[in-house]
Amino acid sequence: MAAVTLTNVIKRFGSFEVVHGANIDIADGEFVVFVGPSGCGKSTLLRMIAGLEDISGGDIAIGGKVMNDVEAADRGIAMVFQSYALYPHMTVEQNLSFGLRMNGNPKADTDRRVKRAAEILRIDELMQRRPKQLSGGQRQRVAIGRAIVREPQVFLFDEPLSNLDAELRVQMRVEISRLHKELGVTMIYVTHDQTEAMTLADRIVVLKAGNVEQIGAPLDLYDDPANRFVAGFIGSPKMNFLSAKVVDTSNSAAIIELVNHGGARLRKPLRDAFPAIGAEIVLGVRPEHFFEVGEGDCDIPVKADVAEHLGSVSYVYANAGPEELIVEREASRQRAGGDHFTVSIKAERSLLFDKSGARIR
Amino acid sequence: MTSRSQARLGRSILLHLFLTPLALIWLFPLWMMVVFSTMPDNGIFSPGIELLPHDGFIDNFNNLQRDTNFVGAIGISVSVAVTYTVLSVLLTSMAGWALARYEFHGKGAVVAIIFGTITLPYAVVLIPQFIMVARDFALANTWIALIVPPLFNSLGVLFMRQAFSMMPAELFDAARVEGVKEWRIFLFVALPLARPMLAALAIILFLASWNNYLWPLLINSQPGAMTAPVALGTLIGLTKVSWGGIMAGAVMLTVPMLIVFVLLQRHFIAGIAAGAVK
Amino acid sequence: MRTQNATAYRFLTPYLLIFVVFWIWPIISSFLISFQATRTVPWRFAPAFNWGRLIGDPAFYNALKNTLLILVIQVPVMIALAIGMAVLLNSPLLKARGLYRFAFFAPVVVGEVAYSAVFRLMFSLDFGIVNKLLNSIGLPKVDWFSNVTPAMALIMIAVTWRWAGYNAIIILAGLQSIPEDVYEAATLDRVSKVKQFFHITLPLLKPVIVFCAVLSIIGTMQLFTEPFLITERGGPGGGTETLGLLLYRQGFRSLNFGYASAVAYTMAGLAIAITLVQLWLMREPK
Ligand SMILES: Nc1ncnc2c1ncn2[C@@H]1O[C@H](COP(=O)(O)OP(=O)(O)O)[C@@H](O)[C@H]1O
Ligand SMILES: [Mg+2]
Repeated sequence: MAAVTLTNVIKRFGSFEVVHGANIDIADGEFVVFVGPSGCGKSTLLRMIAGLEDISGGDIAIGGKVMNDVEAADRGIAMVFQSYALYPHMTVEQNLSFGLRMNGNPKADTDRRVKRAAEILRIDELMQRRPKQLSGGQRQRVAIGRAIVREPQVFLFDEPLSNLDAELRVQMRVEISRLHKELGVTMIYVTHDQTEAMTLADRIVVLKAGNVEQIGAPLDLYDDPANRFVAGFIGSPKMNFLSAKVVDTSNSAAIIELVNHGGARLRKPLRDAFPAIGAEIVLGVRPEHFFEVGEGDCDIPVKADVAEHLGSVSYVYANAGPEELIVEREASRQRAGGDHFTVSIKAERSLLFDKSGARIR
Repeated sequence: MTSRSQARLGRSILLHLFLTPLALIWLFPLWMMVVFSTMPDNGIFSPGIELLPHDGFIDNFNNLQRDTNFVGAIGISVSVAVTYTVLSVLLTSMAGWALARYEFHGKGAVVAIIFGTITLPYAVVLIPQFIMVARDFALANTWIALIVPPLFNSLGVLFMRQAFSMMPAELFDAARVEGVKEWRIFLFVALPLARPMLAALAIILFLASWNNYLWPLLINSQPGAMTAPVALGTLIGLTKVSWGGIMAGAVMLTVPMLIVFVLLQRHFIAGIAAGAVK
Repeated sequence: MRTQNATAYRFLTPYLLIFVVFWIWPIISSFLISFQATRTVPWRFAPAFNWGRLIGDPAFYNALKNTLLILVIQVPVMIALAIGMAVLLNSPLLKARGLYRFAFFAPVVVGEVAYSAVFRLMFSLDFGIVNKLLNSIGLPKVDWFSNVTPAMALIMIAVTWRWAGYNAIIILAGLQSIPEDVYEAATLDRVSKVKQFFHITLPLLKPVIVFCAVLSIIGTMQLFTEPFLITERGGPGGGTETLGLLLYRQGFRSLNFGYASAVAYTMAGLAIAITLVQLWLMREPK
């Protein structure tokens, strides 16, 4: 009913190209998150889908219909903005009904829709207040309510939670998830926060500098990133990257040497490609994929600098030569600063990237 | 008392000792305007020093009304200033909105021309404006002549452009996504939010029109078509007029504005501070 | 933003029409008229007619000289005064701030005609309150209207009274936009209040002061009403004649539009020069 399809979408501001041909297929009812660092073009993409920006090249279709020249109002979308964009001079009720009233929607229907939105979001009590008299979380609800009353086929969110404090953010995240289940409509959600992306999305679109780096389900991106950028961006704390060199290739595996760790070697089975012997490569290991001595395929000694204790786990910022590693440890095994210990890497729990950042499988 | 608070007190006394006489000097002409307006002519032109008001305002006003139809002129001034203010606020805020909030072909050129000519002296356009309005359009001594030409004021456009571009863009995008027509976004979202700026602009424009002298002097010089300042100006320098009457007229032109100033000081100052006038 | 030509021009056109008809076209037209002999009908193109006359006209040089003289003396005095007013009004030590603000800002709303009339009365020779007060403290009377120097002084006093508060408002707004912590930091560094004024306040105020100066120069350059009404059409004997008055006299008394336009464009030239100086003063340091 309302799938969204982007085909070779390009955006230029003047002669400055900020989106370089994006191809994204979003299924009806899917929750898709665009994630990437600030300035990578997420908002621009979203605003093009909304009809707030001209499309410099390519096509955007909603529900199978190309929308390039259709007004924002006629695309069947609703949008929630980062700043909430509530009309400061109107009450909550007026904010919710403004668009419908301006378009001559019958009053009874408007009232019904406003009431329903208020119920869904539990803001019935706030209807006569002005935005100034609301807390951040309440404003956020009203902004979402304003989108709900439009009964759109596609919801667009542009960093809706970034102005909230950490606790509210978690709470609203759950609410948005719930809303998606309840309404069952397509949602496109923009954020720079990978945690939000991981927790909310059916599928994540990772963007970098106007390019789509990878599209996939959260755990697929986590376990099987297409390149070093995605590997580093998804997951918190970040994946560790260790400089390495190929010393031998044989029997569908490469032997690599970790250059900053006293020549420690790892045999890494490969499937598709074999790098040249002597090539400089990078080994990626997630903090939780360091094992106890002997459990892995390659041991490296490190020195704990600082330990952050989160209760269930501790993150140890460890020093090994010029490289700083983040190691996740069970709380009971955490080390104090200055301790020396040895971690172990497993071949199947590590990823290889070539010098340009592309994945070697 | 600590030496610190002593030093503060000393500085405070010095400040007031300096500022008070200056303030009195600054108020003096206005005070004297009021005093003169209540004195008979033979009192004004007497050797004594009179610093307090008398009770002759009504007589002076009657003299003024005898010399020129001042009440009629005030009527014209009020109507013209009100009409001008409404029209000018409307025109400049519409134009300011377009320049602040839309991308369109020729925008750069329009902005460049407005900015590029803003510091040109008004004197430059005086003669062609006069020829056009008086001769080509034959509109001298009409209200249109007083109201329409001064509407070109581009500072108002820049002021409103500034006001609108400081509002968060997402607000208008939100309305757009909701399918609200552009002119309704302007009327029901942008203008209500710009109320303080509109107030500042309106006050400044009203004042400018109320006090405008040169253009009305040139274009509406017939008795019966004159604005109040022009009517009053014709009396200055004549020999057989009542100076008490002139002062009564000056008071009638000034005191209402002073009251407005006191009541709406915040808007006034905002308007001037943002360079909306002149 | 999407490109929206039709919508944008619908909002813009009413203003643009007025702007073009009553501002842009007259600017061009005035320039053209200045090259035409307008004494006889039909007007004819005669480049040297007005400009040639202007260059040799002692009345023009007199008006130019007076205008520049007023500019050079009155504007700096007024700006300095306005800075002083603004700084003192901004002092946290000031009590009854509203009253002082009223005193200095009130002239801003007073019309040129009204205040010209008052100044004329206040400064009249035998019965003016100013001379009476001068006498009462043992000083001689000043004949403000019959001698050139006092007449010029009077014009400058009047203009300063009318506009100092206006500039003070702008400067005060500039002052209030300087963050308080800059001064707190300076105080902790033992920088005296006076040094703070010269090394923090003034440099930060520079753009505002330049703006005020340009506004004042361009306003004063067109000075008309004060010499027209206070010193009786530029008297004594042309001693306070300004370019504005010359333009009025030529354009609207003698109906000599060509010559008046040449005078107008002389003012425009000055204004453009001053604007360029401003842009140069405000340029970003490389
Ligand atoms: N109106 C505009 N004009 C010019 N450049 C813009 C405009 N809007 C955004 N950009 C640029 O486009 C790039 C992408 O911006 P945006 O989509 O807002 O990034 P984000 O991913 O943080 O939302 C940035 O480099 C930004 O500077
Ligand atoms: Mg963004």
